[in-house]
Amino acid sequence: MNPRPRGNTATSAFARLLETLRPDLVRFAFWLARDRAVAEDVVQETLIRAWKSREEIKDPAATRPWLLTIVRREHARLYERKRLPTVDLADVEVQGDPALLSSDTSDGDAGLDDLRRAILQLPDEYREPLVLQVLGGLTTAEIGEQLGLTQAAVLTRLFRARNRLRVIYGLTTAEDVE
Amino acid sequence: MSGVFECKHARLAIGGDPQALSAEVAQHIATCPQCARFRDETLAMEERLKAALELPLHRFRKPTETSKAAPRRFALAASLVLALLVGGGAWLFRPQPALAAEVIEHVNHEPGSWQKHEPVSAEALAAVLAKAGVRFDARFPVTYASPCPFRGHIVPHLVVQTDRGPLTVMLLAHVTAEGAGKFSEGEYHGVVLPAGPGSIAVVAREGQEFDGYLKPLLEGVR
Repeated sequence: MNPRPRGNTATSAFARLLETLRPDLVRFAFWLARDRAVAEDVVQETLIRAWKSREEIKDPAATRPWLLTIVRREHARLYERKRLPTVDLADVEVQGDPALLSSDTSDGDAGLDDLRRAILQLPDEYREPLVLQVLGGLTTAEIGEQLGLTQAAVLTRLFRARNRLRVIYGLTTAEDVE
Repeated sequence: MSGVFECKHARLAIGGDPQALSAEVAQHIATCPQCARFRDETLAMEERLKAALELPLHRFRKPTETSKAAPRRFALAASLVLALLVGGGAWLFRPQPALAAEVIEHVNHEPGSWQKHEPVSAEALAAVLAKAGVRFDARFPVTYASPCPFRGHIVPHLVVQTDRGPLTVMLLAHVTAEGAGKFSEGEYHGVVLPAGPGSIAVVAREGQEFDGYLKPLLEGVR
């Protein structure tokens, strides 16, 4: 019996890892771009770049933040290259994006749609660190590295993002911080 | 003693990273009920936030109608519970000590809810119910209605006025009760009843009878 070369095994494992992480990359790209077609394009480019650079990854645990970084860069690059118009929230709703207008649960949880709209209304500088933290699982230090911010600045942005979202639940907002 | 600066610092930390609080902030929360509540609310919202961010990718390509099934299932199940209750079998279920304790703890967090005497407007009540995706036709004046975080969901926390005093009613459409039963803790006693995929909690203050109000309360669940 001829054992498979070790390199092939590693390559297969990396391919499986990309496949596993792909849904969250699409979600992350969507929250950045607020457009599902752009999100799909960004992730496609991301996966191609990741595949070409797979030798750079030594620690599988580092793959996720590494891919999120590529998504951010590809998103910025796409907008720069194509000079895409910014997407207006009203347009997103008029287009009837099912991801925003329909509940993804079987329990008729319309509250999630309200929350999604509220997240979309957050300024980019609040929404992006929030998505990186909650969806991406990054620490505030890692988010700081991604966004070029101090950890204190990241904390403040995350605090303000959540403070704004409290309003839709009728919860009292906390006093803002300087 | 909790100072304004400490609270502000604690809330910044909670809002910034509710899952990773420092020992200093945790110590402050232990002595500050307001910040403890802020933390609880934030954590409850956090689960909803994660669910909202985890977009249903399959619907990117195949849109379907929004499900309206939850209120109907809730109502159907409530009527089944009512049938058992009228038949005298409600107390045959197993008690839910953990759930009951959480209900009591929540009620303890909002002592002011018992002190309200002016009925809330129909619009305000409807807004609270809509946030939780449930329907409730209150047969008694509702003097307190708040959308409260509970086990990761927003649930209507109501206080209704009966001729024997106020009762707290929590419509826990997302909390599955494996059984039900009466409970008593401190100055409160009450009952949690299963309602399909969810449950309903009714809480009274010590010495106040509530059995006679369960039937109309359950009938109000739509």
